[in-house]
Amino acid sequence: MQKKQGLSRVIAENTGFIFIIPWLIGFLLFKVYPFASSLYYSFTNYDLFSGISKTGLMNYQQIFTDEDIVRAFLVTGKYALFDVPLKLIFALFIAYILNFKLKGVNFFRTAYYIPSILGGSIAIAILWRAVFNTEGLINSVLSIFGIPAINWMADGNTALFVIILLRIWQFGSSMVIFLAALKGVSEDLYEAASLDGASKWTQFFQITVPIITPVIFYNLITQLCQAFQEFNGPYLVTKGGPNGATTLISMLIYNNAFLRHKMGMASAQAWVLFVITTILTTIAFVSQKKWVYYADEDGR
Amino acid sequence: MRRNTKRVIAFSLAAVTALSLTACGGSSSSGSSSGSADSGAAETAAAASEGDVTITFSWWGGDSRHEATEAAIAAFEAKYPNIHVTPEYGAWSGWEEKQSLNIVGGNAADVMQINWNWIESYSNNGANFVDLNAYNEVLDLSQFPSSSLEQCVAGGKQVAVPISLTGRLFYWNKTTFDEVGVDIPTDEASLLAAGAAFKAYDDSYYPLALGEYDRMIFIVHYLESKYGKAWVENGELQYSEEEITEAMDFITKLEEEHVIPTISVLSGDMADSLDKNSKWIDGKYAGILEWDSSATKYKQAVEESTNKPGQEFVIGEPLDFGDYNGGFTKISMAFAISATSEHPYESAQLIEFLLNDPEGVEICSTERGIPCSAAAVAVLEEKGLGDELVMEANAQVLEHNGFPLDSMFEHNDLKASPDGVYYKVFGKLSTGDYTSADAAAALIKGINELLEQ
Repeated sequence: MQKKQGLSRVIAENTGFIFIIPWLIGFLLFKVYPFASSLYYSFTNYDLFSGISKTGLMNYQQIFTDEDIVRAFLVTGKYALFDVPLKLIFALFIAYILNFKLKGVNFFRTAYYIPSILGGSIAIAILWRAVFNTEGLINSVLSIFGIPAINWMADGNTALFVIILLRIWQFGSSMVIFLAALKGVSEDLYEAASLDGASKWTQFFQITVPIITPVIFYNLITQLCQAFQEFNGPYLVTKGGPNGATTLISMLIYNNAFLRHKMGMASAQAWVLFVITTILTTIAFVSQKKWVYYADEDGR
Repeated sequence: MRRNTKRVIAFSLAAVTALSLTACGGSSSSGSSSGSADSGAAETAAAASEGDVTITFSWWGGDSRHEATEAAIAAFEAKYPNIHVTPEYGAWSGWEEKQSLNIVGGNAADVMQINWNWIESYSNNGANFVDLNAYNEVLDLSQFPSSSLEQCVAGGKQVAVPISLTGRLFYWNKTTFDEVGVDIPTDEASLLAAGAAFKAYDDSYYPLALGEYDRMIFIVHYLESKYGKAWVENGELQYSEEEITEAMDFITKLEEEHVIPTISVLSGDMADSLDKNSKWIDGKYAGILEWDSSATKYKQAVEESTNKPGQEFVIGEPLDFGDYNGGFTKISMAFAISATSEHPYESAQLIEFLLNDPEGVEICSTERGIPCSAAAVAVLEEKGLGDELVMEANAQVLEHNGFPLDSMFEHNDLKASPDGVYYKVFGKLSTGDYTSADAAAALIKGINELLEQ
């Protein structure tokens, strides 16, 4: 009887913990274990079919000396450098417009969110190819004005622009978060600023932006991580071309892991990507002291 | 009361998770053989199972192959009522990744349609597939040419049975050539003449379109025609850097002379493959170098063009680049039985039905190319079955393409896009990042690194 009471007490005191046990087990088995084992595999030549026969730094050595792998990392960085700020600016701009009391605004909010639901699917890839191929929609429109057709894949920069645009077009999730933040900005502040003669631009940059900086920061971190992991756009639309100009590191990781089964190399590439993303995220976190304002911290 | 309910829910969730995880672990450990556990399956299981059995059968292909194979399965089940076949099929895209993981994870289908180079890449020296010699009671291997059977041996085991042989040949859009007013090419001079004529007609028209991998096959064809040596033999590349540089020069010349579009032009089309490229469909690209078994889809694409319906698609003569018949023949695909199969005997019966049984052969016809099996060929001839175009193309390949192909030719280190050696070399050659000598050196380096592994 006493034993039973003791057990009941233990359960009562640890109910919360018991509730998270299922999640915890899943987290340890399906996140922590693969994460840790991939670090180990990155120092081996692990092949799914032939196993491990060599250990050492050879994968990392190859990553930093093979010009095609280095290029893929640089292209990924360039992709993220343009994609993240452009997407955030665009999402904030649309959210700002949709925050006005316009007629049919709910329809527009839904319409602008739809591309995000579609994601990087095959259907979107077909759409994007239909728009950007040399005989596609854009060139058809240009030809009406006598402008010669553009081969978007002739140049690495324009090809990269095509896949950056695909992600910017999917701005819906960031937009919704910005919209929620904009709705949280008190109308009183705008009224007071108007009375003081502040223009809409001044109100936006002096009131809106500072107040929503925590949300901008949140979107920056999530978009940064997603941009460095981007796979669907280049895989489906440009196939990494022309001449490797849109080959992001995720494509090399995929090919090494699932086409060549070289899990050692794929793990090493994934770890270098992880370290780069961590460094940039850390820089963002450190820098937030200078530009992110939390209202509950003495006005910061 | 509410607190008790919370506790019960918490316990239930924890218990369910623990049980499901245990189940996952159990299943994975029991099925995690990559072949070694079943290497002796052939020796021990060469007998029929008792009672009803279910086997799985996986293949890739297009709709017509799926329909024919499903009909053949229905006929097989009617003939052997105790065997039920579960089909697993899809398109080629992503299929290799999925199946290779199934093989290594011990989840492969009992009967698998495999690509020929999978024997090299995924059989683990024969351990991942059953030795078909152990099932000669139900699978008549004597119907297949011994030279083809030998190419399906790994680790001393007959790990697969060849379905058909294939090779590449030139196909042309005769309507476009007539429109431009130039003859269909038969050699280097007429190829260059066609380039000039197409450029004069409309510079968005090209007599031949070759992607990166096509270019690789093209230079092998070119070099074999000229020098009469197989590309790789006994695990060694047979061509010198000078000879390969010459082939690279030829590719550059074809681009400069408007015979083939640059890789950048082809990339700009943003098409998955040439048969889906609007420029092929509408006759702007008037030639391709393709597999004999793919003839039908390229023909359909131009014949059913919305903008230019009814274009005439013809099989070309082999291009004469020298004193030899260049081009290779290889096993296009094969059937294998997974080493983890619990019913290899019944699986062998299914293979026999599909490849040698008159009923199965009649239903499958030439959906997987012209069969290697003599019994199947006899059935097709007797009943006048099969796609005439594919048969004509296959006959030309078998007659003309005399060189063998090393199975490493299609290895993903070389062939994968966008980071395979072929893609990088021909991409950089086309953009001018590589000279012909650079391209030849990079190609040789990539191939030798793979061959030395």
